[in-house]
Amino acid sequence: MTENPVSQNPVSLQNITKRYGGFTAVDDLSFEVAQGEIYGFLGPNGAGKTTTLRMMLDIIQPSAGSLSILGSSSAISVRRRIGYLPEERGLYRKMKAADSIAYFAQLRGLSRKAAKAKAMALLEQFDLEEFARSKNEALSKGMAQKVQLLATIAHEPELLILDEPFSGLDPINQQTLEALIREQRRGGRTIIFSTHVMQHAERLCDRFLILAQGQKRFEGTLAEARAGMAGRLHVRTNASREALIALGGIAHIREEEAPSAGAEMTYEIELEEGADPQVFLAKAVAARIVISRFEQAGATLHDIFVSLAGDGGEAVSDSKRAPHEAAA
Amino acid sequence: MKQILLIAWREYKQYIFSRGFLLFLTMFPLGLVFVGAAVGLLENNKPIRYFVVYDETGAYTDEIDQELDRRYMQSAIAAWDAYILVASGGAEVDIPAPFAPDDVNDARIVAFETAGGFEKAQSLAKANINSGLPSFVPPKRSFYRLPTPGDIQALGSLLEIEEAFRPYLLEQRLIGVPSGGGKPLFAAVLIPSGFGAGEDAAQAQYWSRNLTDQSLEMIIRSALNRALRRSVIADYGLPGEALDAVAAVDAPIASFRPDKAPEEAELGMKDRIETALPAGLTYMLLVIIFGVGNLLLTNTIEERSNKIVEILLSSVTANQLMMGKLLGIAAVGLTMPALFLSGGLALTLADAGSENVMAVAVTTLFSTNLIFVYLFYFFCAYLIFSMIFLAIGAVSNSLQDAQSYMGPVMLLVFAPLPFMVMVFQNPNGLVASILTWIPIYTPYAVMMRAASDPPLWEIVGATALMLAFTLFLMRIMGRIFRQAILQASPPKIRDVWRLTRKEKA
Repeated sequence: MTENPVSQNPVSLQNITKRYGGFTAVDDLSFEVAQGEIYGFLGPNGAGKTTTLRMMLDIIQPSAGSLSILGSSSAISVRRRIGYLPEERGLYRKMKAADSIAYFAQLRGLSRKAAKAKAMALLEQFDLEEFARSKNEALSKGMAQKVQLLATIAHEPELLILDEPFSGLDPINQQTLEALIREQRRGGRTIIFSTHVMQHAERLCDRFLILAQGQKRFEGTLAEARAGMAGRLHVRTNASREALIALGGIAHIREEEAPSAGAEMTYEIELEEGADPQVFLAKAVAARIVISRFEQAGATLHDIFVSLAGDGGEAVSDSKRAPHEAAA
Repeated sequence: MKQILLIAWREYKQYIFSRGFLLFLTMFPLGLVFVGAAVGLLENNKPIRYFVVYDETGAYTDEIDQELDRRYMQSAIAAWDAYILVASGGAEVDIPAPFAPDDVNDARIVAFETAGGFEKAQSLAKANINSGLPSFVPPKRSFYRLPTPGDIQALGSLLEIEEAFRPYLLEQRLIGVPSGGGKPLFAAVLIPSGFGAGEDAAQAQYWSRNLTDQSLEMIIRSALNRALRRSVIADYGLPGEALDAVAAVDAPIASFRPDKAPEEAELGMKDRIETALPAGLTYMLLVIIFGVGNLLLTNTIEERSNKIVEILLSSVTANQLMMGKLLGIAAVGLTMPALFLSGGLALTLADAGSENVMAVAVTTLFSTNLIFVYLFYFFCAYLIFSMIFLAIGAVSNSLQDAQSYMGPVMLLVFAPLPFMVMVFQNPNGLVASILTWIPIYTPYAVMMRAASDPPLWEIVGATALMLAFTLFLMRIMGRIFRQAILQASPPKIRDVWRLTRKEKA
């Protein structure tokens, strides 16, 4: 591992690689996360997300490359300033909810008294005070996940790393979690979270990184990702599919609705890369095609994800995953 | 360090403040009292077993009755001795022989009865120990001889008599007892007219449906032997009492140890305890290691299968987690003996100067360096085996996964058990030396030998070897723990050895 010049950003990874024997789980990955940013970590199963997060936390060591976490080359020395919620998480079954939060907060540096007070305050804030004395084994899955999340933030970390925080939560609890992430950001915290649920990333992330087969496929904002994607149109007309194709510049066309009584049809049109929607509209007018709706739509994060990570990303089967990986 | 202690405290609290442990702590003394009471109750309520003797010779029935009385007095005097020991707390008491606790032999039985029996003994005990002592209740007789029923007595041949006894022995008929009513017949003894000591003599018959309880058969055999030996002695022209005189001979012999000054050299209870204590502690060590090893195993498997371990590892290093667990569970293992020891110590302090068994054991433990030796080797043995259990826990998702590793490990833990008796009997012999030099058994062997002055060079050398081995094992097992604990699926047995290699980044 080479030395990383100390970055001003809370998280900086430079050319990080992790190999397990002949298998490369993470390949030459570099990215930086700025202070106060919500940073999405997207990728299909086996992309190397969890491995990267574990390397950031110094739970496992990279084979090559360097990193800086909160100004330190190892998260061990700054782990009290980090809150980590792993993808596969659990609680001691016989421990009480409040004690669980306080225990992990103490492990991360709070005094016993402060940890207990904070645990009770958080449980009250999230309407869980009646379960404070309940054993974890008596909690529902959703409640247990809330307790785990509260245990992650109880010591008020500067950097939050959440691995698939939305998995297993019902829609109401997902909303609660979104609100909590926003609240943490308002408190000045830097947040990195990995997810499969594109809507959350789309709503929450300032920037995101798409990882597939251990390699970075994209890093930037949603607008930047959309700019690199082909334009998409929704067009309502009585013209035939063939007439529209004849105008040129169409990469893909699909009927969105069945023809109505007036024989009008709505099409979803994906233009060729670099094609200008306005030029397409001008050509249609010149060809005397009557258009009753012309709507320009940007690519969704889902489209971007499938486009960037879909080429073989999903094909990484469990059998090809590194034996040392729990999930990535 | 704070994190290690936090983890250790959580581990400790989880077991020590669990309902199960607290219940055990409460139940243990109650259980002892219950078992003691139950044994006493069973003994007092043991049914009297009735038997008959059909003696064609008419010469042996009295002999059988005398033997029954002698055996009864033996057990009654033994019960008296136990009563005195309990009443005095094991300390020597000022009661004259034959009432003072001692060996129970024929001479003492005779002397006991001649000196006034239990009535006199009781009054002496009340006068010399405590006037408020509860009265001694002699045990009930186990066997009672009934006369042969008249209808059987009237029969002519032994074969007819055998047949006549069958319905009684099979409980198809009951036999009348002096207290009234009928009872099942436990056994019938038939002594034919030709019974004697010669080779051609007829044999006596013992009939009983109960084939497991042989105590009555032994008494009958002993009585008949005694009678026949007396007749053989008479053939030599000696009086019958000569046999009793011979039987009463008890060679006076005292044991001494050469490593003590002449005035302290005679072996007493303290010496016996001093010698036996290390063996007791060694067995305790074995039990604790097995117990806490299992705790460590199940606990690690829980953390692994419940996915708690990754949250822990984001807060502490794998080494801190490992050390915290080891420390916490070791404290759990030491709690039980510490509680018993504290109880013993409290009793000793409350009864200062007493010479009861517990007091002598506690004094021996604290007056020598034995307690430090015990603690040092406890931690060494604990480290060796707990690291193995910890590594097994780290490579197992369930107890079922762990089973495949546990078999050989259990074999390893308990392998020295059969040899421990040999070490105890010959603490400086070859077996003791061999076990001492096998690092995983060094703690057991040294503990067993602690009170018998083993060669210093051997102990120092073997201990150094053991410490080096312990460090090596900690490194290897630590690697397995660190590398396996986060794996989603447990590694196959053949892959485990790869985890023992130095971790690569």
